Amino acid sequence: MIRSQNDELAGALGGLSLPDSALVFVANSGVSDEWTAVLEELTEAFELSQAAVRHSGPIVYLLEGDDLLGRRGIGSAMVACGLLSAARTLALETARAGVPVNVVAVGANTAPEMVGFWVEVLCRPNGPNGELIRLGAEHLGKALP
Amino acid sequence: MTARIDGAAVVTGAAGGIGLAICRRLAAAGATIVAVDMADRLGAAVADLESSGARVIGVQADLTTERGMDAVLAGLDGSPAALRTIVNSAGITRDARLVNMTAGDFRGVLDVNLGAAHRLIDQLLPLFDHGTIVNISSRAYLGNFGQFNYSMSKGALVGLTRALALALAPAVRVNAVAPGLIGTEMSMAIPEEVREKMVSAVPLGRMGLPEEVAETVAFLASDDSSYITGEVITVGGGRSLSK
Repeated sequence: MIRSQNDELAGALGGLSLPDSALVFVANSGVSDEWTAVLEELTEAFELSQAAVRHSGPIVYLLEGDDLLGRRGIGSAMVACGLLSAARTLALETARAGVPVNVVAVGANTAPEMVGFWVEVLCRPNGPNGELIRLGAEHLGKALP
Repeated sequence: MTARIDGAAVVTGAAGGIGLAICRRLAAAGATIVAVDMADRLGAAVADLESSGARVIGVQADLTTERGMDAVLAGLDGSPAALRTIVNSAGITRDARLVNMTAGDFRGVLDVNLGAAHRLIDQLLPLFDHGTIVNISSRAYLGNFGQFNYSMSKGALVGLTRALALALAPAVRVNAVAPGLIGTEMSMAIPEEVREKMVSAVPLGRMGLPEEVAETVAFLASDDSSYITGEVITVGGGRSLSK
């Protein structure tokens, strides 16, 4: 399943060869700073992730790199950093079964095709697990999330 | 001993092991404590603080409700000192593997650990022309088996910390502390055999003390850390490195 409100990205991801049980969760761009908006986004991630894990589906959370460093407001920062932590925890829970859970943080000018490439790699059974791939250059020389 | 900490400090989760140690430490540095907790044992915590000479206002409140937030504001109204420090220490766990986690346990942990901190800061910021915020995250933000909800909430708290650090600089510094295995009531409730195994994975060979977390909070709340904002300090005995 691809959950995305970004049509261009959804289109690029839709053409990928992914397992039927896979979840690609694209965090909504610019979640407002209201608590209800943050909770709604994280709850949807919880529900979809639980469904994927119950079917041994690999998971990739896609988010914007700037949000991991809190550059675009507190709502989107809470969502991005919350998803990264959730992925690290879930990766521990699925490791024995060889089901990967990873995160891709995209930069401002990252091509959808590049995102798709990494999503495919990160959905491979027994591939990288619990990893964060940061695309673009905005993170260079900055904090490790 | 860190520098003096003036003004009022709102500390949530004040009756818990880490929260109470933070209250004691900030009070010793000169702060007037607004101790917030929803548990009945808050009364005993306030009495404990008062007996050591602390200036303390106890507020029994559920911070997931508007009424709870109003109670904190009323408590601050009673403080002779202006608000200078906020410490978000309230937290709960409801552990389960994600496949078995209930929606209620997911939501409950997010509401208390993250929503309450978010709302408290939102409510108190208008009273805050300068000062410091310290959010108590957890080493679990790096990932911890069976804690999808808790880990997510504590990671999101790190995101809140970073975003606020950028938004509120230079008037307000915002940092987080990520405790590892600390000798609190919560961790002492873990079966001894399991606890011993957990301790054996800590390079420093023991559980941390609530006072060691409190010392880090006092550092971040004082001018001793005047050039630090947006950071996470792990107080975990090296556990983030070991197998």
